[in-house]
Amino acid sequence: MNAGVSVNSESASSTDVGHVLIKTRAFQIADLSVLGSVLLAAVGHLMIKAGLNGAGSAAAIHGSIVERLGSYFSQPFVLLGLTIYGIGTALWVFAVSKRDISYVFPITALNYVLVTLGGKFLFAEVIPSKRWVGVAVVFIGVALMQSAGRKGSR
Amino acid sequence: MTASIALWTSIFLNGLAQVLLKKGVGHSNDAGGAPAGWWLSLLQNVWVWAWGLSFVAATALWLLALSRLDISYAFPLLSTSFVLVALLSRLLLGEFISWKRWAAIFVICFGVILIAAK
Repeated sequence: MNAGVSVNSESASSTDVGHVLIKTRAFQIADLSVLGSVLLAAVGHLMIKAGLNGAGSAAAIHGSIVERLGSYFSQPFVLLGLTIYGIGTALWVFAVSKRDISYVFPITALNYVLVTLGGKFLFAEVIPSKRWVGVAVVFIGVALMQSAGRKGSR
Repeated sequence: MTASIALWTSIFLNGLAQVLLKKGVGHSNDAGGAPAGWWLSLLQNVWVWAWGLSFVAATALWLLALSRLDISYAFPLLSTSFVLVALLSRLLLGEFISWKRWAAIFVICFGVILIAAK
């Protein structure tokens, strides 16, 4: 009985089922790439900051713009951070092709949440309670953006 | 002063870059993955190049600014680009931004400002 039903539905609407599956997968891949790019961007930013903290030489502080940029780009953490940031950027390009830019760009505010956490746990920065409230408000805003719909009136 | 100019120029270019990228990659709702051909076609897309150039310039200016300013001060100011991107996407791309989406954008900006507050 059950087997008969499933065979029936498969033969009757296999294209529809396949179409729905592909659509669902598209949403998942696009949404995962949004989150992945946000996460990688935050990790990249924190690594770049760690590298810049290490660039304390005279050239890094008092040199010309070219000398300063040179000293930044010779920091391994800056280069690693930029590489991770680059992978996140590729994911981002893909995500943007699937979503309104006015929908997907504000979601990158989750960066601030992640960087705040990174500042606390990696650089031992003291986070005032007001800043935690801000983190919560950003979460609420991103949730609002989700409930407002990913495609606007398209 | 110089660091502030670098910071705000970086923020503007960063916002503009997003709209240039969207202009370049268009909008697709179909199948999940992106074939290699799609990635290659981006190399011949003038909008994607404009995005890349704006992005590189914004990043270089960001590094210059960040070396002089605390990340906890500079990073939240990027949130002004959410409003900038929304306005530009409406003017240049014709995206419709519902009042709910505007509300979400401003709530996010408010949250980011709270994060920045001392």
